[in-house]
Amino acid sequence: MIRLQRRLRVDRRRSITLRLAGVVISLLVAGVVLQISGSPALMLGRRAVETMTTPYGMEQGLVLATPILLTALAVALGFRMRLWNIGVDGQLYIGALAATGIGLNVNGPTWLMLTLMMVAGAAGGAFWILGPALARAYGRVNEIITTLLMNFVALQVVNWLSLGPWRDSTIPDLSATRRIPYELPILPGTNTVPIGVIAPFLIAAVVFFIFRFTTWGYEVDISGGNARAAEYAGIDVRRRIVSVMCISGAIAGASGAILVAGTTHRLSSTISNQYGFSGFIVAALAAGAIVVLILVGLLVAGLLVAAITLQTLGLSVDAVLALYGLILIGNVVAEVAARYRVVRTTKPPPELQFAPAEALAGAGPQGLSALTAAGSPPESTD
Amino acid sequence: MYDPQPPDVQNDQTVACADARATVVEMADIWKAFDDFQALSGASLELQAGEIHALLGENGAGKTTLSNVLTGIYRPDVGTIRLDGEQRRFHSPAQAIAAGLGMVHQHFRLVEPLTVAENIHLGRPELPRRLSRRRLISETAQAMEQYGLTVNPTARIWQLSIGEQQRVEILRVLLRGARVLILDEPTAVLTPSEATELFAVLRRLAASGRTIVFISHKLHEVLAVSDRVTILRRGMNVATRPAAKMTPEKLAKLMTGTERVMEAPRPSKGRGKPVLELRNVSARGDRGLVSVREASCTVHEGEIVGVAGVSGNGQRELTEIATGLRHPFEGTVAIDGQDLTARLPGDFVSAGVGHVPEDRIGSAIVPSATVVDNAVLRAFRTGELSRAGVMRRGAVRVFTDRLVTAADVQLPDIDVPIANLSGGNQQRFVARREAWAADRLLVAAHPTRGLDVRAADQVREVVLDRRDAGCAVLLVSDDLDELLAVSDRIVVMYEGRIKGDFTAAKARRKEIGYLMGGGDLVGGAGAEAPS
Repeated sequence: MIRLQRRLRVDRRRSITLRLAGVVISLLVAGVVLQISGSPALMLGRRAVETMTTPYGMEQGLVLATPILLTALAVALGFRMRLWNIGVDGQLYIGALAATGIGLNVNGPTWLMLTLMMVAGAAGGAFWILGPALARAYGRVNEIITTLLMNFVALQVVNWLSLGPWRDSTIPDLSATRRIPYELPILPGTNTVPIGVIAPFLIAAVVFFIFRFTTWGYEVDISGGNARAAEYAGIDVRRRIVSVMCISGAIAGASGAILVAGTTHRLSSTISNQYGFSGFIVAALAAGAIVVLILVGLLVAGLLVAAITLQTLGLSVDAVLALYGLILIGNVVAEVAARYRVVRTTKPPPELQFAPAEALAGAGPQGLSALTAAGSPPESTD
Repeated sequence: MYDPQPPDVQNDQTVACADARATVVEMADIWKAFDDFQALSGASLELQAGEIHALLGENGAGKTTLSNVLTGIYRPDVGTIRLDGEQRRFHSPAQAIAAGLGMVHQHFRLVEPLTVAENIHLGRPELPRRLSRRRLISETAQAMEQYGLTVNPTARIWQLSIGEQQRVEILRVLLRGARVLILDEPTAVLTPSEATELFAVLRRLAASGRTIVFISHKLHEVLAVSDRVTILRRGMNVATRPAAKMTPEKLAKLMTGTERVMEAPRPSKGRGKPVLELRNVSARGDRGLVSVREASCTVHEGEIVGVAGVSGNGQRELTEIATGLRHPFEGTVAIDGQDLTARLPGDFVSAGVGHVPEDRIGSAIVPSATVVDNAVLRAFRTGELSRAGVMRRGAVRVFTDRLVTAADVQLPDIDVPIANLSGGNQQRFVARREAWAADRLLVAAHPTRGLDVRAADQVREVVLDRRDAGCAVLLVSDDLDELLAVSDRIVVMYEGRIKGDFTAAKARRKEIGYLMGGGDLVGGAGAEAPS
């Protein structure tokens, strides 16, 4: 008989190998489905790879990667404490809103205004998660639900401002705010990539160093590992919950500020192209490894760019999103699979194993020891 | 009434009741080990039809393991089980229940969103092919009447009180045809009036010829409800006695043991200033019941105060109060004269308090974190290991290496998750870490429980060393021998109150046992127990 046995220790390399296999299998499944439904899967794949490798495609990939990586970092930070920030999209919107508010209503030198917009964005994102964070820390309210619901509120607030008070009425049929007069400079050596693209790499480095070298990072890791032991060690777990969630919200908010200051220049309710969703997938795929997070984030951004090409070839953007879903499922399966191994066990024949106890009692010592031939030490039955 | 009969600890499980009843179950020479922990070492149990048989023993004595062996949850390493004289082996709980052995677990196995009737019929063997709601309800009501266990059959489990849920659980086991019903600490979750009702039910069931095994460490209940008592200690039988001939203090003596002689206590170099001062402290336990009542206690520098008592009388809560993990609703807690009532555990850590908690894995260790991260759990804020919020990684590794060596922990390297260490190694690791953290006060709950003799001696030595270094020590233990061997003073906890205060030299086992069983000393500390 074959059964699953839990491993005592999960090997990192096995886990990553299985995850990669999960991605490959997901892509194969998608290819087969596409082929069956009449799309030329191989041709689509080749075109997708071509798009991702042109200079323009790569620049577009970096532009898209910025919010995806930032939201992924925000989610990954929460994961360190086993907190699920599902509201990164909402925090991104509120960060964008705060930055837009500063950009449209305050005048000053560009460098100062851009700095202010970034700070406002981070503060907005942190503010948006403050309620769920306090409720989680002091009221044990499930943060998955509260942060999720705050997304819808954020979207409505942005909708109201961009269609109402801040709407650009000079252009008919535009459901967005006026253009923000301050723009992030372009990264030297590129044509279209705003300087904000370095933000995720900087933040990733800072997060890495915090968790590797500071007592605060240690306290957060301990709180995530065993909250009772953390309290026992004198760590104020509730304050760590609030600060980790707020920093997570601030990173998501900053990504919104970078988005309006560098790419969209106007606030509307469509600036986030499901970035939070993609970021969540990236964080889940990376499972806490920050280098993996950056690589996967760039890959997903590349897929999104490829999606534009694929759309011109007749494939809907929903199909690409479905592909992400497949990759996520493949990885969840891989993660679970990494924790188990398949073992063969020799079990007694089923007719004996499930025989009623009354029948067994009459079997005598021989029958009984035959039953327990495997797994039991020799016994003195007489 | 105290009966001054000399203690008798011989294995005489064959003491028969006056009316010799038929033996139903006979477990003989049962051995069972988990990793490096020997849970049962040749335990035996003999059950008769129509009796209520109490299984008594401290935590870790093997009560639950023995009943899990009987009900097919564990397989014994060695040993035989005879049912009605015939030898049996159970490979699953399903086989045991089919043979008429049913267990009511401490944590109920009920499906909360389903109704009482649905829960009772889940997995019932003679379930009718065609089910209707009405039929389920009428059969349930009929069974309830038959056994005198009434609960509304249409209520959902989550709507019921704990006592009612327990009745459903018992009924469910009875409907599976249980002739032997094992209840694992059934009163731990009940209010006193619910417990009284349960006892009436148990007596009726016994009167109808069923055998009841009642697992407990509450002495009064055991005497109130059972016909015979089997006492287990460290996985072995101490005695089986008719309950009518026992008293709480005799049971306490048998549970905590008398046969082991430990080396003479190393005397204290003399005590200094008070360190821990608890004044009239009362606190609630996890279930919201008052668990510590107006307890006062002072522990001085260079002194070990032992807390004796049957488990569950507020010792755990007392240690949590002394370390800031539980806040009292009245009274004050002070360390070195500084009032720390209602302060966070971190303030107690800063005040130099080390704590070996009862539940080491659950609250003193982060299983998924590495040995390094667990080693510095208490000391990471000190200047040796961090400066201005930055960990000194080199110093952290040196610290860990020293701790691992001092604690005599066997492991390949310090970067593996601590979950890979055996329970005994984890325990020595925690004990040594906490001794290092304890500059002023060490609070240790059962620090040697489950350890082998050598490891237990090592841990006791750690505790004595702290005392000799001028640290105050509050030591909770089930093991009276251990308390007598290492304590300078001994207090007894009973139902949340601190009773008696003995200097170890004058402490007499008889008096302590008497207090542990709920007795009162007339002339205060050191007075003779009334006869």
